[in-house]
Amino acid sequence: MLRKIECFIQPTELDKIKDVLFEEGVEGMSLSEVQGFGQQRGYTNGGKINKQVEFLPKIKLEMVVEEEIVDNVIKKIVNLAKTGKIGSGKIFVIPVEDVIRIRTEELGENTIL
Amino acid sequence: MAKDNVWDMTLKRLDDTMTILDLKPGIIKYLKEPRKVVEVAVVVKMDNGDIDIFKGYRVQHNTNRGPAKGGIRYHQDVTLDEIKALAMLMTWKCSLTGLPFGGAKGGVAVDPTLLSERELENLTRRYTYELIPLIGPEKDIPAPDVGTNAKIMAWIMDTYSIAKGYIVPGVVTGKPIELGGSQGREEATSRGAVCTIQAALKILKINPSNLTVVIQGFGNVGGNAAKVFFDQGFKIIAISDISGAIRNDKGIDPYKLSEYVSVNKTIAGYSEAEAIDPSELFKIKCDILFPAALENQITKDNAPYINAKILAEGANAPTTPEADPILKDNGVFVIPDILCNSGGVIVSYFEWVQSNIAYFWSKREVNLQLRDIMEKAFYETYNFSLARNLDMRKAAMALAVNKVANAMKLRGVYP
Repeated sequence: MLRKIECFIQPTELDKIKDVLFEEGVEGMSLSEVQGFGQQRGYTNGGKINKQVEFLPKIKLEMVVEEEIVDNVIKKIVNLAKTGKIGSGKIFVIPVEDVIRIRTEELGENTIL
Repeated sequence: MAKDNVWDMTLKRLDDTMTILDLKPGIIKYLKEPRKVVEVAVVVKMDNGDIDIFKGYRVQHNTNRGPAKGGIRYHQDVTLDEIKALAMLMTWKCSLTGLPFGGAKGGVAVDPTLLSERELENLTRRYTYELIPLIGPEKDIPAPDVGTNAKIMAWIMDTYSIAKGYIVPGVVTGKPIELGGSQGREEATSRGAVCTIQAALKILKINPSNLTVVIQGFGNVGGNAAKVFFDQGFKIIAISDISGAIRNDKGIDPYKLSEYVSVNKTIAGYSEAEAIDPSELFKIKCDILFPAALENQITKDNAPYINAKILAEGANAPTTPEADPILKDNGVFVIPDILCNSGGVIVSYFEWVQSNIAYFWSKREVNLQLRDIMEKAFYETYNFSLARNLDMRKAAMALAVNKVANAMKLRGVYP
């Protein structure tokens, strides 16, 4: 079964994350620069959380992997993205119905190998 | 340890619950009475050629919400009263977590460590044979408990299947994976317990980093829990087993310890921790105290010394009713047994479902579904405890008993 891992993290240690996840068996991923807020309400460390909301720059990483490696991938992302402070981000795991590689029209697991 | 009173203690817990619920005396009487109690003589030809007889039991406490479900215990101190009490606890556990099961328990009064492999197999097969009219996937489904394991479940499944003439994997849970066992069953109780602990940390606003844990017991539940806690980043500062207790404030690595135990049989003499008096174990200051041994461990005598923020009951009935108010006064947050250790029966339920439909789930699927049920049960209990100003145990008991009573009322009394 394929799962999509979508995570929103602080824009740090990206090169390390890329290499570590590749070693875990992640054969491809996409990165986007996004803006967002969560429990932090857009305030950086030291700022007080209040009702006013601000967007802060975040990094969104997306990858599709085999279910068996999901837990290990999550562990690695958490280890590298944990800042110990509010605003470290979140990881979402989403079921993937199917994947199609356009060039070869391969389906499912074959597309991520 | 006064083990004989575990039945009285379970009845007392039920009586305490009745003061919260508005139930008619007839229903209370009915809930106290096990539906079926069977005692069998388990005859075994021993390796020395002589014949020995062991007392075996199976109790089905209640089947209003579904077939009876509960473990089989091999322990020299097994008594009928204990099995009756544990069967009743299973009814509440299945009801609280919403599983479509009633409660049962079985046991044989035998010290399995004194039997050879062949004697153990013969004892299991003879005991199973005696229970054939009683058990079955739609009637009563045994599982492992203290002193029993996946291998023994495989023998039970085989014996039952031979008698029926076809394979019946759904007659028992906790089987080896190769015979239709579920992924994640071995560590299910501990994983489930961690779910409830994490929810408790959240509501108590305790920072979930650098947590310290003390574990009583290093068997299936305690040993697995130690590994699950360790992987979670909790620091295990003390562990006990039947041989004694060890402590290391810098943390004990349960993987190393279990390698040591696989060679030396007990934790005694483990060099990377200091041996302590087992009676000191419960006095150690920690965030989480996790009893994972037998019943009646936390009593009015040692409860005043407990210095933990959370008491997570991995074992069944580890706390006596007299200890409850002491823990409450000292601000110890109790995650009661029927909630905390229900992960085992929840994944047993998943295994039964998978066996019956001849399909299998991935480990991740099992763990996610387990977490879902555990969290739902935890918050249902917690919210009820707030709404009715009850402690967690009373809230859990009241919810569980009420569901069984409702099922009974809806079904009515035959004829």
